[in-house]
Order: sequence, then structure tokens, then C-alpha cells
Amino acid sequence: MRILLIEDEPKVSALVKRGLTAERYAVDITADGREGLEYTETYPYDLILLDLMLPSLSGVEVLQRIRRTNQFVPILVLTARDSVDDKVKLFEIGADDYLTKPFAFAELLVRVKALLRRGPVNRSSTLRIGDLELDRLTQQVKRHGKRIELTAKEYSLLEYLMQNPDRVLSRNMIIEHVWDQSFDGITNIVDVYVRHLRSKIDENSDPKMIRTVRGTGYMIRSENAV
Amino acid sequence: MIRKPLREYRFSLRARTTSWYVGLLAMALVVFSVGIYVCIRTYLNESLQRALSSTAHTISDDFLAKLPTKGDAWVLGEIRESYEASPNDHYIRLSVGDSVLYQTADMRDPSIQISEITIPRLSREGTFHRQAIHGRDVMVYSLPFQATDGRLIEVEAGTSLFSMQQTLHSLTKILTIATILILILATIGGYLLMTQPLRPLVVLTGKAADIGRKKLGERLPVIPTGDELERLTHSLNGMIDRLEDALNHNHRFSADASHELRTPLTIMRGELEEMLRIEELPPQAVENLVSTLEEIDRMSRIVNSLMTITRLDAGGERMTMQVLDLSELVRTTMDHMRLLAEEKGLPLNCECEREIYVYADPMRIKQVLVNLIDNAIKYTQPGEDFPESSLQEPRGRVDIAVFASGSSACLKIADQGIGIAPEVLPHIFDRFYRADFARSRDAGGVGLGLAIVKAIVTAHDGSVSITSTLDQGSTVLVQLPLVKSPEPVHKEEPVPVRKQSRYQPT
Repeated sequence: MRILLIEDEPKVSALVKRGLTAERYAVDITADGREGLEYTETYPYDLILLDLMLPSLSGVEVLQRIRRTNQFVPILVLTARDSVDDKVKLFEIGADDYLTKPFAFAELLVRVKALLRRGPVNRSSTLRIGDLELDRLTQQVKRHGKRIELTAKEYSLLEYLMQNPDRVLSRNMIIEHVWDQSFDGITNIVDVYVRHLRSKIDENSDPKMIRTVRGTGYMIRSENAV
Repeated sequence: MIRKPLREYRFSLRARTTSWYVGLLAMALVVFSVGIYVCIRTYLNESLQRALSSTAHTISDDFLAKLPTKGDAWVLGEIRESYEASPNDHYIRLSVGDSVLYQTADMRDPSIQISEITIPRLSREGTFHRQAIHGRDVMVYSLPFQATDGRLIEVEAGTSLFSMQQTLHSLTKILTIATILILILATIGGYLLMTQPLRPLVVLTGKAADIGRKKLGERLPVIPTGDELERLTHSLNGMIDRLEDALNHNHRFSADASHELRTPLTIMRGELEEMLRIEELPPQAVENLVSTLEEIDRMSRIVNSLMTITRLDAGGERMTMQVLDLSELVRTTMDHMRLLAEEKGLPLNCECEREIYVYADPMRIKQVLVNLIDNAIKYTQPGEDFPESSLQEPRGRVDIAVFASGSSACLKIADQGIGIAPEVLPHIFDRFYRADFARSRDAGGVGLGLAIVKAIVTAHDGSVSITSTLDQGSTVLVQLPLVKSPEPVHKEEPVPVRKQSRYQPT
């Protein structure tokens, strides 16, 4: 998988590149919009990460020009603006997703993987990690075959975690997917729900599936559970 | 709320101007009326006197002068012939001492007997004097005539003043009524007349209030009256120009600053995350790194909140307005937050009247709710080391109420928390102002929550206020304009969904 990163802040691009390379992606970097455009016309990239504030050619311009020649390459925009207007405009001119700075690398990774996997999506009705089962049709959760009663929010939280096994989900991401932006800033709501979920899922079972990743967020680990 | 005082102000200016002008007019009218009255009275008086004296002198010069030649009988006959014997309101009397030589008949209108009028016997020259007979004024001119035979004949010509007084009385009445009528008409007319020049002022005032509340991008309409108002409009527009410049500058600065902060924050976060992945870090280092990461999180939230407030204040934040049921939104939000309250063993009560509709951006109002309810929960039970799943008696509760009051939809959130000291209450909605730094920091606040609440509510043309008693709790009241009857289209989706969902990984 080959990813192009168009970003003029060398430290940011270095960080992203190191992280993505560690995940075994091939990453090209350019700091210039015009150069980035030439790259996209030369190599068949699987994904483009685009910063909006660029010298010589603005990110919006780059985005529009890429879309003129290439309809399908997924484009993830990195932006420092977060007004609704800006976001709506981004989607209108062809961005597939965006990430507001400052972002956690874990979040970037989840979004990158999601965009790269867009084609054949696993939409099976049952999510299964180890002996934990979540049936999306009946909305039932079982561990060791034993049914666990969850509230609606706990269910959504578990579903989101199980959709992204082995990936760190930041509190921010969890809030935005399970709640909505208005809960942003109330940090402990995620912790409270995770604690409740944990008491129902992990309390009497081993191994413990929901892990806390310090300073970042939470994840469900599948390897220990196998 | 803003309209009402405006109307009162307009009223008073109008009333003040009208009353000044009516007052001046009244003074002019009174002076004018008194002048007229005095002139006419003098004129009537003088013409009466002229008539009386000319009658007396005619009798004396034309008739009595002939006494020595023609004799008494002839002269009196001549006088009787010349001066009618049955006058209405005047009389003539010739007398020598107390004996009357000749007199006309008694006056009839009003009836006064001539015999009751005292014969004046005073001067050598003709004199005027007045007498009151049974309350009726009579003016008499008496002229002494020295006959050649030695008799001193007193010639009297008199008249009742009744008719003149009647005339003057009518005049007074007419002038008074006319003055009052003119003043009434002038008051009404002036009041109405003031409407026209004041109308641009009313338009301007309303518009100016709107500009203050909403965007600064608009300008006052220049009404080409060519007068002071037009000049005022131009000056005000100039002032708004400068204000807008200053605000834009301020806005740009905040936006640029928070924008510029994001990149370094991204880098710091990335570097720290990377460092945390190193396996062999000593526990102390991990602790420090994690703590730094948390601080970066907080800074990011501050930057975000600042940008939000800046945009809301500048009116630059696009809001997706729709008619929505406030009570419905409150209930859903409460359901999402109930667990937070349960953690602290607090009951979360709602007394929500159904179908309280407001025209609002659901996401923003939800943010208000979340902030306020979160605050109420946070402050209701002091002490963090309280057992998580407490079996103790709940020490407080959070009451939420939604109701309609007049033209407002009201949301009331009352806690039984630590309360707010009266001296900090006025600043509680200020940015970065916190009643108790240590406490709210522990609870994860960034000191911008209430400022955001205020910015959002203000952007919705609403108001927010807080009352509090120390150690007993605080009550926040949010008022939004009430929508009486919702359009059926919006009724189906009272609970909003996200405007723009991000791509969701599956």
C-alpha cells in the first residue's frame, strides 16, 4: 500500500511517516502542493493525506485538481480548521474524510485503515473476538456463551471497540462515534462507561479484553483472547 | 426583551417634544387672548363714553343753550322729540337740585328705575362715574349747565353696562374655548406630526439593535431625510465600520492563534505517543509522558473551545436551525448522562413539559445541555474520594425543568452543590473564570464551558442567568424564544442527528 503525504510541516510529516512505515505502509512525502499534484499524476497511490495549508498551491486547490483526474483515490484531509462550514466544503469538493489537528496518531491510523479497506467491508452480522460475541441483528452480547445485558450506550461502545480490534481508540474518537460532538470536553463520560462495560464483560472472565492505553484511550485485544 | 425599552424611549421623546411645543403654544394663546380682551374692552368702554358725552353735550349745547330765548317748555319738548321716551338701556335726565326737569322712561333691558340712580352733583365739568343698581352696573356722564336764570341744570346721560359686559363675557367664553380647542388639536396634531420625523429613528433603532445582536456586517439604512438623522446614520455606520474592523482583527487574531497552536500540538502529541511505544521506559518516565499527553489534550480542548466561542461571537458559525422539541432533546441528553450522575449516587430528575418548541441548532443546544448538566453533576457532591458505587444516602440531586413562560421556552437546571459565592456570580460566564480553580480542575473543566453556553444561547437570541446560594446549590435558567406551533415537517424528527457524519470505520 502506497500513501502520499502532502504536508509542509516537516515535523508532522516525519512523525506520520514513521508511524505509517511502522505499520508497513510505503509513504512518500512532499511539502509542496504543486509537487504533490505531480506525484499523484505519476504514481498510483492507494491513499492521499493532504494538509490544507500549503505553499504555492492551497490544499483545497490540490484536492479539486486531484478529483478532476482521479475520482477514486481516497483522500484524507488534515486540517487545522474545524468550523462546520469548512468541513461541509471539504466533503463537497471531494474529500473522503478529514482529521482536525491536533490528532492522535492512533486515530489517524484507524481512519487510514478504514479508507484503505473501503471496498469489501466485513458486514457480517456477528462480531466475534475470542469468546466475546456481538450479534448486530438481535443486539445480543455473549461471553462464554452466556448472555450479557447491556444498556444501549454500552452496546454501542462495545460494538465500536469490536469493530476496531487491536486498535487504540482515543476518547475523542469514542465520543464522536458513540455520543456526538456536544459531549466533547466531558472527558470522564467515556471512562465511566468503559468502567461499567468492563464490569459486565471482564469482571468474572479471563483474559481481560478491554485494555486501557494510557494517555490515549482504549482498545479491545484479540490476541490474548485466542 | 430589547424591543420594550426602545418603545418607551421613543414615546418619551415624542411626548417631551409635543409637550414643549404645546406649552409654548398655550403661553402664546393666553397672551394673545388677554390682549384681545383688553383691547376690546377698552374700545367698547371708550365708544360708550363717547356716545354718552356727545349726547350730554348735544343736549347742553343745542337745546339748553336756547332756554333764555325759547323757554323751558319748548326746550323740553324738543328734547323729548329728539330723544326717544322709551329707551332700552340708556336714559337721559335733566335735573335741578333734587327736582327732575325731564327724564326718559325707565330702562327695560335690564330693567332699572331711573329714580334709583343717584343724581351726581359734584363737579363743574363733565364727569363719568359708575353706579351699581341692584347689582347692575350703570355708567353715567353728568354735565352741569349753568342757565342764565341762575339754575344749575344737571344733564345726565347714562347707560346700562349690561350689554357691554355681556359682550365681554361672551368674548371670554369664546377665547377660552378656542384656546382649549386649539391646544387639544395642537397636541394631537403635534403628536402625530412627530411620528413622521421619528419614524426613521424607530427604524434605525431597531436595525441598530439587530446589528448589535447579530452580525456587524450589516449597516444602518440611510434614509435620505437630509437632516440630522441622516448625518447621525452616517456617523453610526462609520462607527460600526471601525467596530467591525476592530472585532474582525480580534477574531482573526484568535482564529490565527488557535490555528497556529494546532500544528505544534500535533507534533508534541505525536512525539510523545511515539516515545510511549518504547518498551523499556522506566515507569516514572511513562507517568510523566502520560501526564504531558493529558495536558496536551486539555490544551487542544481549550483551543477548540476558544475557536468555537470566537466564531459564535463573530456570528461566523453556521448553525443548522430547525424547529425542535426542547423537552425531547433534554430527555435524550439526560439518558446519555444518567450514568454520570449514578456514579455519584445522584438522582437526575426531569420535570419536562412536552412539546416546548424552539427554533435552534440541535447540536448547539445539546452542547449547552451537556455542559450545564455536567456542571451540575460535577459540583453537587464535593470530594473525589467518595466511594464509586455508593450505598450512602444521596447528598444531593439535580433537577431539570423545561417549561414555557410567556414567549420564552425555559430550561432550568438546579443542583444542590457547593454553590457560588455572590461576589463571583457576575463573572461566572466570563471566559476562563472559575469559582474554584482547584476543584474544577480536578473535575476536568477548562473554564470555558459556561462561556460557550452563553455564546451559544446568545447566538440563539436567548438569555442565560444563574442564581446561587453558597453550600445550597445553583440554578441556571436558559431562556430561548418559544415557537408556538411547529411546522409538521420538523415534528417528525425532534431528536437531531449529526449534520455531517464522518466516515465510520467498520
